[in-house]
This record gives sequence, C-alpha cells and structure tokens, in this order.
Amino acid sequence: MTFTSNDITILLLSMAVMLFVARGMGELMRLIKQPLVIGEILAGIILGPTLLGFVFPDLFNGLFNKSQSSEIILQGITTISVVMLLLVSGIEVDLGIVIKQGKKALWISIMGILFPFTLGFLMAWSFPQYLGNTSGELHLVFALFVGTALSITALPVVARTLMDLNLFKTEIGYLIIASAMVNDLIGWIIFSLILGMMGSASHSLEFGSTLTLIFAFIFIIFFVGRRLINYAIPFIQKRFSYPGGILNFVLILGFLSAAFTEYIGVHAIFGAFIIGIAIGDSVHLRENTREIIQQFVTNIFAPLFFVSIGLRINFVSNFDLGIVLIFLVLAFAGKIIGCGLGAYFGKMKTEESLIIAFGMNSRGAMEIVLATLALQVNLINEKVFVAIVIMALVTSISSAPLMDIFVRRIARKTQFRNLLRPELILFGELSNREQIIAALSQIIERKLSLSMDSISSKMIEREQSFPSGIANYLAIPHIHMKVREPVLAIYISSKGADFMATDGLPSKAIFLLVTPENENELHLKILAEIVRKFQDLNNAETITRAKETIELINMLRESNAY
Amino acid sequence: MDAPFKKLALAVTFSPTSRALLREAARLKDLFNAELLLIHVGERTTEIETRMIEMLQSIGLSLPNVNLEWGLGDPAQVINSVCIKNKIDLLIAGALEKEGLITYFTGSIARKLMRNPPCSLLVLVSPKDSTKVYNKICAGVSFGPECPDTINKTFRFAHFEHTKEITLIREFQVPGHSIAVYDGVSSNETQSNRNRWIKEEEDKMRVFLAEHNLNTGIKINLVALYGRSGWEAKNYVQQLNADLFVTPAPPKKLKLVDRLFQHDNEFIFESLPCSLLMIKGN
Repeated sequence: MTFTSNDITILLLSMAVMLFVARGMGELMRLIKQPLVIGEILAGIILGPTLLGFVFPDLFNGLFNKSQSSEIILQGITTISVVMLLLVSGIEVDLGIVIKQGKKALWISIMGILFPFTLGFLMAWSFPQYLGNTSGELHLVFALFVGTALSITALPVVARTLMDLNLFKTEIGYLIIASAMVNDLIGWIIFSLILGMMGSASHSLEFGSTLTLIFAFIFIIFFVGRRLINYAIPFIQKRFSYPGGILNFVLILGFLSAAFTEYIGVHAIFGAFIIGIAIGDSVHLRENTREIIQQFVTNIFAPLFFVSIGLRINFVSNFDLGIVLIFLVLAFAGKIIGCGLGAYFGKMKTEESLIIAFGMNSRGAMEIVLATLALQVNLINEKVFVAIVIMALVTSISSAPLMDIFVRRIARKTQFRNLLRPELILFGELSNREQIIAALSQIIERKLSLSMDSISSKMIEREQSFPSGIANYLAIPHIHMKVREPVLAIYISSKGADFMATDGLPSKAIFLLVTPENENELHLKILAEIVRKFQDLNNAETITRAKETIELINMLRESNAY
Repeated sequence: MDAPFKKLALAVTFSPTSRALLREAARLKDLFNAELLLIHVGERTTEIETRMIEMLQSIGLSLPNVNLEWGLGDPAQVINSVCIKNKIDLLIAGALEKEGLITYFTGSIARKLMRNPPCSLLVLVSPKDSTKVYNKICAGVSFGPECPDTINKTFRFAHFEHTKEITLIREFQVPGHSIAVYDGVSSNETQSNRNRWIKEEEDKMRVFLAEHNLNTGIKINLVALYGRSGWEAKNYVQQLNADLFVTPAPPKKLKLVDRLFQHDNEFIFESLPCSLLMIKGN
C-alpha cells in the first residue's frame, strides 16, 4: 500500500482542520471555564458524521475519507495518543504523596474505587441489556469493564478545577490529588488486566503467564527501573540539549515500555502508565520539564485523539437516553457516595467530604480513553461508548460548580476576607493593651455567644511572655482555643497602645485572633496575611486612619491579598 | 536561655573516629553544662576498660566526670535501650556521609539510629580531631506540631554555640500542579502560582518567628523551596556549605518501604549534606 500525493495532501489538511477546530473550541471552553477536553470532543462532533457529515456529506467524505490508508493512519494516531496520554498521566502519579497523605487518602481512594466498581459491576452483571450488552457476550468482562469505567477519576480535570477554586495548596486539594492518583493506578491496572483477559493483545502467552509477567514488570520497574531512571535523568539534563534530550528519553522509555507490555499480552497503555510513574518519581525531573512534556501531548496528540473520536461516531444516531441516564446515575451515585463515605471514614467534616466527593467525580479524558479502547476491541458498542463520553463530559462540567458550593461554605469560615465582620470591629481611644484585649474578648463573647471566660486572661498571660506587637502600628494577640472556626476581632486605637512592637511604634491596629486547636497552618496563614497588609508603612498608616467599619473592611480586603 | 540538652550520650568504640567523637561530646558537655553518658557495646574486659580510661584521659575526661554503661547485643538496640533507660536528651553518633547501596538498604548502626532515634540525635559526618564550630546552621520548618520544639532547640543550640547565622528552610510541593497545564493552564500561570506560594510560605515563617519570640541577635535567613521535601533542603544545605542541618526526627520508625518509596528524611540519610541534628519531640 502506498500513499499518493493526494492522500498525503488530504491527510495533512484534515489534521490541520482538526487541530484548528479543536483549538478554537478549546479556547471557547477556557473562556467559560470548562475543561479543554469538552471543546476537543465538541470539535470532533462538529467535524464528524454528527454535524459536518450530516449537513455537508461530500465535504466530510472528502476531508476525512475512509480509505484503507487513512484508517491505518488514524488508528496509528489514536494508539500513539493513548500511549502518550497514559505516559503523562503516570508521570504525575506521585506515590510518595500518596503515602504521606496516609489513611485519609487511602480511605477515599479505596471507597472511591470499590463503591462505583461494585455498583457498576452488579448492574452490568445483573442487567447487561439495560447497559447496551444485549448479546450477552463476554458477560463477565463487560461487567468488569463497566465497574472500572465508573471508577477512574480524571487527574487533569481535577487539577484544573482545584486551580480554579484556589484549592490546590490546601489539605483538601492534596487529598483529592493523592486519592485520584491511587484511583488511577488501581483503575488502569484493572483495565489492563481486563484487556489481557480478552486476549486483545498478543495471543502468544496464556493469561496466567501474562499475569506473572505483569507483576514481574511492575516489580522491576518500581524497584530497579526507578533508581536507574533517577540516575539517568540528571546525566541527560546536564549533557544533552535541553529540553530535546529529556523529552526524547521520556518518549523512548514510554514507547519501549508500552511495546513490551503489548508484547506480553497486556495493552500498551499499561507499560506507558507504569514507566510514567517511574519517570515522574525522579527527584531530578524538573517542574518545567514536566510541563514541557504535558504541553507536547496536550497541544498535539490530545486534540487529534479527542477530535478523532467524534469523526468515527455519530453522536445523534447512537444516542440512547436510557443508557446515558443509567450511566449518569451510576457514575454520580458511585463516586459521590463512595468517596463521600471514604472521606467521612477518614474523619473529615461533612462539607469537606462533599468537596472531595464532587472533586473525585470528574471523569474527563481518562474515561474517554478507556471507552475508546473498549470500543476498539468490541467490548462495547457505539451506544455505550456515546453514553460513557457523555457521562465523562457531564461529570467533568458539574464537578467545579458542585465543589464550589461547599468550598464557599468553608471559605466563609476560614478565609481572612471573610473573617472581617462589622460587629467584631471597634474604634476607640484606649491606650492600654490589657483594656484593649478585654474589650475585644468581650465583643467576641457577646456577639458570637461563645463561652470565652478565659480568653482575656489567657491572652494577657501570653502577652506577658510573648508580646504580640509586630511593627508598623500592628499587634496581633492570638491564641488557639476550642472553637470550631477562626474568629477575628479588630480594635483601631487612635492613640495606640504599647504591645512592645519591634520598631517601638505604638500599636494602633490590634487584631485579636482565636483559631481552633491543632490548626497551626491555618493560624499561621491568617497571621501572615494580616502581617502582609502592614508590611508597607504608608499602607499601614492609611489603615490605622480608618474611621468607619466598612471603610476599614474594604481597605483590608483590597490590600495585598494573596 | 536554657541549654537545649542536659543529658548527653555517646556510643564509644575504638574506631578511627571515636576520639574525635569523644572530643566533640566533651565539648558539648561543657558548652551545655550537661551530663555525659558513654555507652560501650561489647564484652567488659580489663583490657578494654584500660583502653577506655586511657582514651578518656587523652582528651581530659575521667570516669567520675562521665558515666559509662556496658551492654551486649545488637549495637543499635543496646544504644536505644540505654538512652531510653537513662532519659538521655541527646545522643551523639558518627556516620559516613554516604554509604554503599546495599548498606544503605540494610542499614549501618548510624542509619538505624537515625531511622528510629530514642531521643534527639546529633550525627557527625566523618568527625575529625579538630573542633568544629557550627557557624552556619540550617533548620527545616514544617509548621507541624513538632516544629516549635525543633526550631526552639535550634535557636538555643545556636545561642550556646555563638552561631553566626541560621537559615530556616521551608520545603513544600503542590502535587499534580503541573498536570493542570494539560487542561489549558499556561506555564506562566503555574510559575506565578509557585512564586505566590513561595511568598506566602516566607510570610508564614516570618510570623512563626515572631510568634515564638525567636527574633534573637543571630542573623536569620528565611528560604522557601518548591519541590520534594527532604531532597530540596538537602541540596540547599549542601550548596550553602552549612555546618549543621537540624530537622525533626521521624515521628515513627522508618522502615524498608520508606527507603523504597523515599520518605523525606531518607533523602537526607542517603547522602548527608553535613552534620545532622534530629530533634525528637517531647
């Protein structure tokens, strides 16, 4: 088979059109703060039989003709893209952080897999016909697939959502990421085994031998390969041109590993994913190198892959409302109840558990990769495929807004800007620190109906050993107490009081902070934010000259916020 | 200011570095006005006793001024139990900067002690006979419950030692951050996030110092590093050519799995950047 000049022209033209529409739709999605993958899938639907093929069939057939050669090329692009997607997905799995997050992450990820998996498996096992498997073929494998399809969480969408909600550098953010990583790891291993069971790859080995080889492969890569890669990366980064050298190294390893697992009867994605973990584990792999690898895959292979999905399938004729609804219900119920229970067992508060549950619910790109592979080996039909794609999109779109509801509730209680309450702000002429502390303690007690008899005496006692005057007219008497959430009261003294600030200036802005016990980081974060607002002397003077509550709150909310 | 440690211990052998270790232990004993307990793991014979007395005398120590305990068995276990029994505050040990791969995994006596210290532990890297003064001290800041004690003892140690500068190092990493690039986040955005977080961590350290009244006369540097905990600090300390790195002791015994999937401390143990002081929480 040879390519004619015409074939090559059409191929290049079609790839250019795919990338162009994918970028356009992707940017549109960015504008409305939706995952990029949604734009890419929509681009495929626009260019595919669903829309372009329906409205302008000749143009569609001309651009994406289904000749034998173009099919092979498309198949090749899909395979390479999937391998690349799993490679970068593996690079981001940090087993160290998973271990560090400990029991909570373990609970969330285990429940986040076990519950949706069991739900999906039982449904597909008991009522396969409702999930599009009318022939009853591959009954067990189909049930295992549905279970797995409902279990995997999409890390890229989760990461983006955490960034948008400003949750990345929080305990909840760490937990969601760590749990999603474990989820991915287990999910992809199960899926690879399913593909192995189907004998989709090489038939040269029996399943038992394949299984042994899988575990031997994992063992060798994790315990020997990881170390060798860790030695090799600094050498490559130092001696070879950057970033070409390291990019090549990662791709070579990824392809070799993928080829090996394909050969032993497991799908190539498994090798790519496992070697990705080993590469990502290296302490020498720079952060910007990771991003370069991500950019490389994101901007070339991911759009081609996701657009090609829409080119193959007609989303209108294969839309089955019943199957879509069943998948949606199973997906939402499985992840939200599973992860929610996991977080609850991990002793997290209800609101935190729900944030984690909705965060883990986004399926995004990974689910679509999984469904594509299942479709390729005829494990599922087009209707199930379309239902899974829709489920992946709906869960991804809904994740951020649903999380946001509960994030706002927590933020309302912990963010500095939300701690500024008009009823907890006093203006006056007191110039004695004990009197100021007593006045602030009193309003906290009165306004919030908290029993804080000891707050004033504890504060004063602490003040005697550790004076809380900072500098630039600022003092922050603070203490940990048995409260559910942080409380901040402010006194603006026109005369100022001696809180023994390091610069010798009297303290005119006194922030009395009470935080829950064992919340050291939150405590320091709030303190740091207050200090930051007073770092500039001019800014500090302006704040201390405030005469009204609202004026003061606006000033504090505006200046130098993180 | 109180001395950070009141009861010191040192495991004595007759290795080439033992004299240097003993000299350092004696110096710290005087510096902190502390008690010193010597531990010898091995059979008690007249010959060894004589050698021990000679060694002590050669550096100006004698048995009434220091106590001596004898023990038999696995050295790390014996040292551990003697320290616990005698309520030692600080155990002093010598260690190689780096060990072979197999020894690293199986664990030398020093590495075993580091992975499960009975009390605070001062590990001197390849100690020499000349007295070492800790002019540049680095300390890891975790903001965890053990952090105030670690930093407080660091400052007290530095005060007695007349240290010139202390560098507080805060390491942090936001896992999965770079994967956000995959979903359309630009590299500029991720870099700006990292810069903002570094600033935030530096501010937190500043407040931490003020909160614990640690603004002493010693020059203090604050450094926030983005990257893998343990690894980043180790490299920084090495580049800074620091004399001592202070870090909290691991909260529980580090096992083989912590070497396979490296625990933060294991990055440091793998190749010590300088002498190491591990503070065991109260």
